[in-house]
Amino acid sequence: MKKLKAYFCRLLAVLALLTLAGCGKSDTGASGAGTSTAVPASGSLTLGVAFETLQTEYWVAGYEAIKAEAAARGFKVVEAVADNDANRQFEQVRSFITRRVDGIILVPKDASTCLPMIKAANAASIPIVLFNRPAAKSEAKSVAVVADNFALTRTTVDYLIGQAKATGGKRKAMVLIGDLGDINAVGRRDGFDAAVKAAGDSLEVVARVPTEWNQEKAQAGVVNALQANPDISFIFTSSDFLLPGIVSALKGAGKYHRVGEAGHVVLGGFDGDATAWQMLKEGYLDATGVQDVYFEAKQSVQAIVDLRAGKPVAEVILDPGFVIHQGNAKEKAAQMWGANVKRK
Amino acid sequence: MNVAADTGSPSGSSRLTAALRSEYLVLFLCAGLFGGLAPFTPGLASTDNFLGLFGNLAPLLLVALGQTLVLIVGGIDLSVTSIIALTSVVGALVMNRDTGWLAGSGAAAPVAIGVMLVLGGLIGAGNGLAVTKLRMPAFMVTLTALMFFSGLAIWLTQSKNIGNLPTAFTELGSRPALALPLAALIAGLVHLLLERSLYGRWLRACGFNARTAHVSGVPVEAVVIATYVASGVLAAAASVLYTGRLETGSPVLGQRILLDVIGATVLGGTSLFGGKGRVSWTFFGVLFLSLLDNALNLLGLSHFTIMMVKGGVILLAALLDTARTRWFNA
Repeated sequence: MKKLKAYFCRLLAVLALLTLAGCGKSDTGASGAGTSTAVPASGSLTLGVAFETLQTEYWVAGYEAIKAEAAARGFKVVEAVADNDANRQFEQVRSFITRRVDGIILVPKDASTCLPMIKAANAASIPIVLFNRPAAKSEAKSVAVVADNFALTRTTVDYLIGQAKATGGKRKAMVLIGDLGDINAVGRRDGFDAAVKAAGDSLEVVARVPTEWNQEKAQAGVVNALQANPDISFIFTSSDFLLPGIVSALKGAGKYHRVGEAGHVVLGGFDGDATAWQMLKEGYLDATGVQDVYFEAKQSVQAIVDLRAGKPVAEVILDPGFVIHQGNAKEKAAQMWGANVKRK
Repeated sequence: MNVAADTGSPSGSSRLTAALRSEYLVLFLCAGLFGGLAPFTPGLASTDNFLGLFGNLAPLLLVALGQTLVLIVGGIDLSVTSIIALTSVVGALVMNRDTGWLAGSGAAAPVAIGVMLVLGGLIGAGNGLAVTKLRMPAFMVTLTALMFFSGLAIWLTQSKNIGNLPTAFTELGSRPALALPLAALIAGLVHLLLERSLYGRWLRACGFNARTAHVSGVPVEAVVIATYVASGVLAAAASVLYTGRLETGSPVLGQRILLDVIGATVLGGTSLFGGKGRVSWTFFGVLFLSLLDNALNLLGLSHFTIMMVKGGVILLAALLDTARTRWFNA
């Protein structure tokens, strides 16, 4: 039995070393900073940051921005990534609560599975902020920091329509629509429709491609639409991550030209990812609506500080974002998360 | 530090042998893991954390018990996660308070649970029939079932979640006071079935050698089909708890837990080659994995570190298991 004990001791020592080696930054001491002080950032807070996934550049950029914002305020961050599993995410949020973190920033898997998580945080009186994805309506209390999808899409498409008008003539347009179960996709579709409506006769939407946020589906839809309507000369995608499919379809149809070249298809998107930045630099993309990840990260951390201080915080904090286009690309690049993603 | 033990007395080494041969080895590992990590891990030993840990463990245990039965009979059931997802959305379609077929009715929750369990059983029966009557390999049958029913769950809901489920239902999954005794009761029933019933003996006989079992008069086909049905029903029961916990019928529910299910079962000591397995072993395996996950989460390790540590620890446990089987023929 002694030998067995000794064996376990060694096993645990190895385990402990492994775990400690991996958590240099996480500390056991959750700060007991007072909740009623009006001075923000008094003492060091510990934030639990739970992401659904870190598989796309956008989330990585968001995660880095939150960490940077927390570091700038001297806060500690405890991270958790749920690998697309809502139940795992629930466990992670519970772990945060057990650790008594001072605030939770959550990128939920979806609008409804996060409700029990928010309720658990509410029950423990830990402020919880949803980053970039709102929760479904319920009595659970949280703050959501989200992009103003409608307004930003509308401004982006207004700009694109302006470009189209400047280069003359009536144009036929295609729009790629996201998964309509996603409230962000609905906002972007409505923003697009509002801009088109306002543009009157100068633009006719001949193809509406449902993508369900799936690249293959999007590409097939674009190819089909271009075949059915070879005279399409205006494309807007509800997310930049679908751009590679559009580029490939345009190249196949011999319609991929730089802005200003003859036969250029007016091209715009939403998100502001690294592909969009590259295409913008190379002159192929007219404009994209950029979600201001840095603004959203700052607001998320600020919301937790404010909630802890007992200040009123709006249930939804809107990120107005901005349109980046050929005219302002250089000056806005620093604010565009896609321009700051390290290319692998 | 243990030179003395290494060269130790005969009684010391025989105790070690006994411990390594013991069916409680994984439980000892759990205790070691807990004891070793508790000092570094804030909140690991708190009551709240235990409730959370066991609340999360309960549904995993139910699926893993089904898997245990199937592994004992010499098969494998990869379709369990798709059963969890499909029953989750079908149950939610029946009972949700917005558009449910029984929206607003007091019977919504019990009927939905019944529908979920029956559906799980039917899918299990399909698997069992394909394995026995069509003589298809269990791996292929349940792998294709996994693909088909996962797809069906997403197609049925167009990849949308279904929320707003009746409180009576969500309480079942989210209140440990309800979920834990329920899971314990089911585990107890499976234990009795396995250890005290004719079915249990038949099951092991089929797993050791189906031909011999058949010659000895065991209704092999019926036993195999019943086992897949049981696995389906248990997966559906797990789905009831998972769906209740998350208050949402989700078409991707449980998509990522297949390795946990099989890993925990095999870790407990159930053989992948049939004939060997127990409810208590699987419980220890599930406890070990859940505890490991829980502690690593509490330590605030990065996701990738957790995956590495978890993989390493499971490998270590598996090596230990192989070693004891080889050395002591346990």
